[in-house]
Amino acid sequence: MIAIRGWDLGKSYGHYRVFEGLSFEVAAGECYALFGPNGAGKTTLLRILATLYRPSAGRFEIVGRDGIAEKEAARAALLFLAHGSYLYDELNATENLRFALALRSVTPAHREIKSALDRVSIGAFGDLKVRYYSAGMKKRLSIAKAMLIRPQVLLLDEPYTSLDESGMSLMNHYITDSLKEGAAVLMTTHDRVRSAEVAHRLGVLDKGQLRQFTVDELNSHAIP
Amino acid sequence: MPFLNVIRWVAWKDLISEVRSRETISSMFFFALIVILVFSFSFSMDQAAARELIAGIIWVAFAFTGIIGLGKSFSAELQNDCLEHLQISPASKGAIYLGKLAANLLFMLIVEVILFPMFVIFFNLDVVEELPLLLLIFALATLGLSTVGTLFSAMTVQIRAREVMLPILLLPLAVPVMIAAVEATRGALHGDPLSLYGNWLQLLAVFDIVFTVLSFWAFEWILDS
Repeated sequence: MIAIRGWDLGKSYGHYRVFEGLSFEVAAGECYALFGPNGAGKTTLLRILATLYRPSAGRFEIVGRDGIAEKEAARAALLFLAHGSYLYDELNATENLRFALALRSVTPAHREIKSALDRVSIGAFGDLKVRYYSAGMKKRLSIAKAMLIRPQVLLLDEPYTSLDESGMSLMNHYITDSLKEGAAVLMTTHDRVRSAEVAHRLGVLDKGQLRQFTVDELNSHAIP
Repeated sequence: MPFLNVIRWVAWKDLISEVRSRETISSMFFFALIVILVFSFSFSMDQAAARELIAGIIWVAFAFTGIIGLGKSFSAELQNDCLEHLQISPASKGAIYLGKLAANLLFMLIVEVILFPMFVIFFNLDVVEELPLLLLIFALATLGLSTVGTLFSAMTVQIRAREVMLPILLLPLAVPVMIAAVEATRGALHGDPLSLYGNWLQLLAVFDIVFTVLSFWAFEWILDS
C-alpha cells in the first residue's frame, strides 16, 4: 500500500521557485530519506506533506486521503516531528504527552506514558517542567510522543539533530519498530551514515529537482 | 466525547501554564490596579462626578486589562512552534477555539472579581443589593470581549506588530459590548428598575451568541491561513 504519494508537486514564493514537478511515493513499511543542500526545499516539502503549507502546484495523498481536500483525515494519519518541539515549557513531560495525545483522542494509561518515557531514557524527568529540558531531551520526549501515537505516516525533519549517540540509536530503533508496524517514514537529513541504517530508498533534492537512488547507490558513493 | 475532551484539555493547558508562570494574570492585575488608582485620585474631590462616571471607568479598566490577557493567549503558542501543533492536530479546531475562549474568559473574570471590590472601596460604592445583577452583566460583557478577542488574538499572532493590531481590530468591534456594558452597569449601580436597562442585557446576550458562533466557524480558516 502506498502511504505517501505526490504528483507534480511544486512550491513557489512569489517569483522564487523552490521546486517543481516532484513526483514520488513511499509505501507502508518503507523509509525514504531525503538529502539535499541547505535551502533546497526539503523542509518545505515536508511541511507541505504535513498540511502546514499548500503546494503551488500538484497534489498529494496521505494514506489515500487528498492532502488538501481531505486535510483532517490526512492529519489524523500522520505525525510530523519538526524543528520546533511542539512542547509547552510550563508543563512537565507527562502533561505534555497527555495534552498532545488528547488532541488525537488518545487516552493512555499512566503506566504506558511511564513506559514510553523510560524507553527514551527520560523516565526520571517525567515530572520536570519541559522548560528545564535540553534540546536532546525534548527530542527524546517527541519520540516518546510518537511511540504512543503510532502514526501511519511519520514525517521527520532532521531527526538526528540535537541527539547524542545513544539518542541517534534510539531514533533508529524507533524508526525500525515503526516500519515493522507498517508505518511509512519520510525523513530529511544530512546524516548519510545514520539514515543508511534505516532507509530503503533515498532522494536528493537540489536545484528544484528530485533524483532518486537506492541505498546501494548511496553506499557506492554514486550520489553527488 | 472527544470534542468536549479537547475543550477541557486546551483550557486546562492554558490554566495550568498560567498558574505556574503567572505571566498573564499578574500583568493584567497590575495594569488594572494603576487604572483604579489614577481614576480614584482624579475623582477624590468630586464623589458625585465619580458616581456618574464609575461604570465607564470600570469598563475601561476591564476592557484594556482583558486586551493584555487576550494578546498573550496565542503569543504563548509561538513558543516551540506550538501553534503549528494545534494547526496540524486532527482535533476539531472549533473545540480548540472554545478551549482557548474558556481559559481567556476565566482569566478575565478572575481579574474582574479581584478588582471590583477595589472599585467598591476606592469609590465608596454601595453594591450589595445589585451584586447578582452586576455579576451577570460582568459575565455577559466579558464573554463578548473574550469571544471576539480570542479570535482576533489568533488572527494577529503571526503579525509582527500584534500588540498594536489586536486593540486596533478588537476595539471597534467591541464598541457595542462596551456601550451595553457601561449602560447596564450604570443602571444597576444607580438602582434603576431592570426594565430601564434590560435591553442592554439582551444586546449583550445576542452579541455573545452571534460572535461565539461566528468565531467558532471562522477559527479553523484563521488557524490554517
